[in-house]
Order: sequence, then C-alpha cells, then structure tokens
Amino acid sequence: MALSTTRRGSSYLFLIPAFVLYSLFVVYPLFTGLTYSVFSWKGTLRDTFVGFANYAGLLTESFRDQLLPALGHNFLLFAGTMLVQNTLGLAFALALSRVRRGKRALQTMFALPYLVNPLVIGYLWTLLLSPTFGPVNSLLRGVGLEGLAMPWLGDPATALPTVIVITTWQWVGFPMLLFSAALGGIPQEYAEAARTDGATSWQVFRRITLPLLRPAMATITILSFIGSMNTFALVYALGGSNGAPAGATDVLGLLFYRAAFASGDVNALGTSSALAVFMFTFIFGSTLLLERVLRRRT
Amino acid sequence: MRLAPVAAAIVLSVAACAPSSPSTPAQSQDKVTLSVWGWGPEENYDKMFAAYEKLNPGVDVDARSFTTATEYDTILSTGLAGDSGPDLAWLRAGANLQPLVEAGRLLPLETSDVPGLKDYDEGVLRSAKGDKDGKVYGVPFAVQTLQVIYNKKIFADHGITPPRTWDDMIAAAEKLKANKIVPFAFGGKDDWMLPIVASIFGTATWGGDTFLDDVKAKRKTFTDPAFVEGIDQLNKLKPYFPDDVAGVSYTDAQILFSSGKAAMFPGGLWELNFFAENAKGVELGVFTPPAPKGGQGMMPGFTDGSYGISAKTRHKAEALKFAAWLASKDYGQLFTDTLSIFSAVPGVKPTDPLLEEVSTTFDKQGATYFMNEFAYGNPSSQTVFSKSLQEMLLGRITAEQAAEQLDKSVATWL
Repeated sequence: MALSTTRRGSSYLFLIPAFVLYSLFVVYPLFTGLTYSVFSWKGTLRDTFVGFANYAGLLTESFRDQLLPALGHNFLLFAGTMLVQNTLGLAFALALSRVRRGKRALQTMFALPYLVNPLVIGYLWTLLLSPTFGPVNSLLRGVGLEGLAMPWLGDPATALPTVIVITTWQWVGFPMLLFSAALGGIPQEYAEAARTDGATSWQVFRRITLPLLRPAMATITILSFIGSMNTFALVYALGGSNGAPAGATDVLGLLFYRAAFASGDVNALGTSSALAVFMFTFIFGSTLLLERVLRRRT
Repeated sequence: MRLAPVAAAIVLSVAACAPSSPSTPAQSQDKVTLSVWGWGPEENYDKMFAAYEKLNPGVDVDARSFTTATEYDTILSTGLAGDSGPDLAWLRAGANLQPLVEAGRLLPLETSDVPGLKDYDEGVLRSAKGDKDGKVYGVPFAVQTLQVIYNKKIFADHGITPPRTWDDMIAAAEKLKANKIVPFAFGGKDDWMLPIVASIFGTATWGGDTFLDDVKAKRKTFTDPAFVEGIDQLNKLKPYFPDDVAGVSYTDAQILFSSGKAAMFPGGLWELNFFAENAKGVELGVFTPPAPKGGQGMMPGFTDGSYGISAKTRHKAEALKFAAWLASKDYGQLFTDTLSIFSAVPGVKPTDPLLEEVSTTFDKQGATYFMNEFAYGNPSSQTVFSKSLQEMLLGRITAEQAAEQLDKSVATWL
C-alpha cells in the first residue's frame, strides 16, 4: 500500500518536465493572449483596460466584411477536405489492402508529399499553375485542352477548389495510413462469414467494413476540421497574405496575420489577440461538439 | 578514449565562439559602438558607414540587416522594447511607423540636433512624423518614384519612341501587341502592385496632391468622378496587359520583362536595380505616362523610410551626431551612388544618368503616391483597396464600386 503511493508520487515527478514545457509553451501563451485581448495597445506598449472593445472591433462592418468570408472559406476547405481528400484516402487504403507486393513502397509514395513543408508545396504549385510560364497549362494546350488552360489560382471561381486539390495532393497519405491501420484491425473472419452467407463485396463493404471504420473516420474528421480551420502556410504561399485573387482564398489564419503584422494599426496587438482568442474558442468549442456527436454514433 | 580529442575540440570551439569582451577593456571604453538595424544587403551599409567611421575614429557603426518583409516590423518592435535593440534603425514610412511612435520607442529629433532636417521637403518629412504629435522621428533616406520602365531595344525595333500623348502610348501598345509582344508586363495576382500601377496611369487624371489634400480635408471623397476615371484607366489598358492578368504574379511580370517578352514594366524605381542584375542585356529607359486628357503626366513618389533613434540608446549624443550626418548631402550622395536609388536628402544629384533623368522629371512632375497616405485602419485601407482593384480587373465590380469600397474603408479612420 505504502509502496504504491510512493510509486504514484514518483510517477508524478516524471510528469513535471512535460508539464513545465506544456505550461510554458501552451498554457502561458494562451493565457497571455487572453489578457492581451482585453487591453488597448500602443504598438508593443500596453495601454488601458478596455474590456470587450477589441472583440466589438471584430464585429465592425469593415472587419466583419473580411471575417465572415474568411470563416466561410475555412468551412469550404473543411468540406472539400472531407469530400475529396478523405474519400480518396479511404479509396487508396482499400485498394492498397488488396495489393500483395510493393504495398509499403506505394504507401510511402502516397504519404511522401505530406513530409514536405506546405510553404514549399505552395510555391511549387504557383510555379506549376502560373498562367504565363506554368507547365500545367502548356501541357493542357499541348494535348488540345485549351479550354482547361485557365488561370487556376487567378480566377476567384477556381482558386479555392484548386487549393482543395493541392491540399488533397499533399495530405491524402494521412487518412490513407489511418484507414489502412483501421482496415488491418478488422478480422478477416467477418468478411468471410458474410461472403459464406452470400453477401456481395459492396454489401461486405457497406455493412461490415464501413461501420467498423467509424472510429477512424471520427478521428480523421476531427483532425481535418482542426487542420482546415488553422490552415495558413499553403494559402499564404498560393495567394499571399490577402488571399488572392480578390480574397477568394482568404481564411482566418491570413486575416489574423494581416491584423497582427500587416496593418500598421497602433492597436494591432489588441485586435489580433481578440481574433486569436475568438479563433481558439471557436475551434476548441466546435471540436468538442464534433467529437461528442461523432463518438456518440460509434 | 578516442573521444577525448573530440571533446577537447568542442571545448576549444565553444571558447572561441564565446564573446571576448573582457580581453580589451581599454579599447571598448573609448570606442563607442552604434548598432544600426535595417533591411537590404548588409555590405551596402558597411560601405556607406565606413566613410563615417573614417571621419569619426571614436565611433564604430555596426550594421545588421534583416528581411524587407513584414517580419522586420516585428523584429524591430521587439528589439526596441527590450534591452538588446539597436541604437538606430530603419523605420517604415507613414502608417507603419505609428505603433513605434505611440509606444514611445523613438527619440523625437529636433533641428537643433539634426540641422539637415530643416531643408527637407515637407512632403518627404511627413512620412517620418508622428501622426498625433507632429514631431519628426526619423531622417528620411530614400524616395521611390513610380513610372514605366521600358526596353529601349524593343522600342527601337518597332520604331516606337517614349509616348508624348496618351494616344501615342495606346498606338505603341497596339503595335507591340500585333507583333506578339506583351506591351505592359504587369501581374495582378500579388495585389500590392495594383495601387502602384493604378497610380502610375491614374494620378494625372485625379489631379495629384490637390485631390489628396481635398480628400484629407473632407472636401472630396474617393467616389469623386475624377478618381473613378483615374482608376478606370486600368480597365482601359487591360487589353495590353498579359492574358489573365489577375492570375499573373509579380515575379512572372518581372520575368516577362527581363526575358524580352514584354516591352514595358509599370513599377517602382527599385526595379531598375533588379533589372540591372537580372536582365543584363536589356537597355532600360523610363517614362511617365502622359495624361489621358492631354498634357504631361504625373510621376507619383513616396518616401521609403527613415533612420530613427531608439529612446533606449545608451549613446544618445553619438547617435544624434550620426543622425546629423545621415541628413547631410555627403551621406545622401553616398547613399544614391551605393544603392542606385534616390536619396531623400534635398539637393543630392544622382550620378547615374537614368536616375538623373527620373530625378529631373520628378522635380517637375512629381506627385504623392496616394496609397501610402491612406494606408491606415485595421483592416488597412490599402488591403481593402488592393483587393477591390483586383476584383475590378477581374471584371466583377466596376471602377465606381472599387472607389466606393476605398471610400468606405477610409471613412472608418479619417
């Protein structure tokens, strides 16, 4: 009895380093961000306590006109990620589960782009898609598809879908690996039993595989949500800090960047801290909600 | 035991890296080191400041260069707030200077300490002033002008001379386009270029500084027909820009011009340096677009930045003396000859013939670049209007609507 208490006591001791780092780099900045947001600022000099004035500033017309479209684009990115990236990820995982040889090599290949920094990926794709010198449009023209040789990132109608495609290109390996692992955890016997009972392969997938993949899907959905809401590097590399063209790729991360670093506003620190707190609360709250809904169903 | 030599080497190299401050106490006492932060290539600073060190043997000017990008503002504001900041630093002009001024990070400069300041053009000096207190916080160093840069060989090959009238310019553009040369290398994807190009072609139409003063005094607004017509010139020139102009990046536009695929590049004077480096075979010329309604055009310009002194400097007297030198013609000449851009010091004549030509034009037809004067607010009116111009080029809104959006944004802070 005495021994186990000491053990537990000493095990807490081992948590201290992690806890200190976590407090220093996560809890403390979060808390300071919160305190920053209720003061007005003169550059980096804290001025006076203003309560919720900075938050009210986020709702003024000129700011709202940027905030709402940006938030909308975050949601569209999430929807696009779910529909395109995660569906493809599942398809790849299913296809790979039937591959006997070279499975590892293929998995690595699909997952490789996600090891590259999104900024690098972004710049790479702006070069590929440049309407003036880009090889993608030259290739399309070369094979007689002039109609498709568009300024992919220069037209507001195609810019966001292009961002979704590039995100997918980069991240598809991630849901693929998670789904592969989940598929590996489903005992073969279930499918065999179903087939013995005369189930078609679609029925096996629909009734056995898919329901058993639900926990993996919940995880992927939540991670995709957080990723889409916090996206910055890729859109910054593709469309600059204003979300070009004409704000069609503007997202919360870019709006925060502009509010904090690019506005020249004397109270930039107050406004951007308020935005950061709003983003954190919103993403944290939505994630909790999402998790609850998803976990309840599984 | 084979590790021993390695360990010894590490100890030695660490010792070598450690600051060797206590070794020469006598020397460091009489020699004052002024640290200067800025952007751009560091060797330029070393070259320019060596002249000052020669004149003042007791002062060592230590320049550190950072990125030109927005990170510099963060680096500087953090540096000035702490104890490890510089004695002097390059400051941004206008709106972006205000956070430092209001936080009290900078020393206001008096003409008694920096006599050169009283000769500065008021328009130039304004960009280094605190908006609220009207005090001068920096010695302006550069003036940038905005104009059209052209490829002399392409012009000669097609029998084109720099246009005297707007119609000449359109006729030249038509001719170039018919010969499969992009008339104007311009990319609208990086939207900070949009107000610049709008001002190159539009300033004469809205009437330069008179109009800006009217807006500031609230006698007129940006929805004024003259301003709308001014920015509408971009729409009229659209056929002579690269295809899908809103998707063409700034770098693409630079490449179009430097590779000889385009004949003209509307942009800032700083491009001359870039093209001199990256388009070595291209002979460059500059012109100001003529006014569409006849007459001479206007060449917009702005003060690029200034040298400010940290309020926390431990060498105030030396820093002020250095600032006085920075406001002198000696420094101005050194600056323009080293960096190939205009010095903000009044009366400095560049030796480079092309720069001299621009300087003469700017003296006669210069105007204030409108966007820098109206870059306040959060979101800043510059961001708002850049986006509006992009939408206008995409054909989603009209020039009137773009002007209305600028007006609405300016109204939030003016």
